[in-house]
Amino acid sequence: MPPKKVKPMDKLAKQLRDDAEQINVSVSDELDHRIAASLRAVTPVEESKRTPVVRPPLFWWASTITGVAAALAVIAIVNWQADEQPVSTPVPLAELQPPIELNMEAAKLTAPLQQELDALQSDLKKAEEKVRRDIGL
Amino acid sequence: MASELQLIEAAKAGSADAFADLVRSYRERLLRFLLTRCSSLADAEDVLQDTLISAYRYIHSYDPRWRFSTWLYRIAIRNAGKLRAPDLVDVDSVSGLHDEENDPLLQCIADSERENLWIAARRLLNDDVFAAMWLRYAEDMSVNDISTALDRSVSWTKVNLMRGRRALDDELNDAAEESEAYG
Repeated sequence: MPPKKVKPMDKLAKQLRDDAEQINVSVSDELDHRIAASLRAVTPVEESKRTPVVRPPLFWWASTITGVAAALAVIAIVNWQADEQPVSTPVPLAELQPPIELNMEAAKLTAPLQQELDALQSDLKKAEEKVRRDIGL
Repeated sequence: MASELQLIEAAKAGSADAFADLVRSYRERLLRFLLTRCSSLADAEDVLQDTLISAYRYIHSYDPRWRFSTWLYRIAIRNAGKLRAPDLVDVDSVSGLHDEENDPLLQCIADSERENLWIAARRLLNDDVFAAMWLRYAEDMSVNDISTALDRSVSWTKVNLMRGRRALDDELNDAAEESEAYG
């Protein structure tokens, strides 16, 4: 396996690194003592202490009962409003139309029309005779 | 000598001494970085102290997938921001923060023929870009670690590192041209 090529540090990167090292700063003894003292005064916060506050069991019972009561109230109100609405019973379509027997003969189906036609022809004949009588023919 | 992970475990168990050992090698590096972001050495020291206390207090929240230094820098950057925010009208502007006489960074830089590039960086770049450049070139952090420390995306980090480099390259070239002009 060929050796991994190491990218040479460019001029800017080298200068930035050198210049960072030119910043002379150190932690003074006084700061060191201060830090040590404040670290001793602090204790790490445990994971469990940062979890949400556990509520008492009564809280859950109270919220459950409240929820159930609210649900019952909603159901009661909805049903009460439904009773007040005008009742419109649907009429079956079959009852509105006379039943037609599809397996009867064609003559039976046309019989009422034939009767109506006969009645009309009779009326027409009577009207014709009346007109002739009136004009004296 | 205990490893970093062992010291972290001991610190989690409540050992302040283990934590002090753990952060000993980071303190000066953090202080140097904080000096670039604070208006005085005293402020930088206060932020360092707060950072270490916060880190110890919340050591249980440290995720071992991160480098410990990344986590420390993240806390330090946040604490430095808290200290500075109320005093500044424009938080991103660093240049107005330091006057030359009292600038703690200038006081801690050895006399040199040329301007320290970090002074130029602080003048040319905004806070976050400066921090990204510092973490990359002074701390040798990876782009991923820098984006974690700054709470920025990887692409933001890459783009701003490139911009920061370009700005400093231009500054370097201008300085070189000036010194040539003056012979």
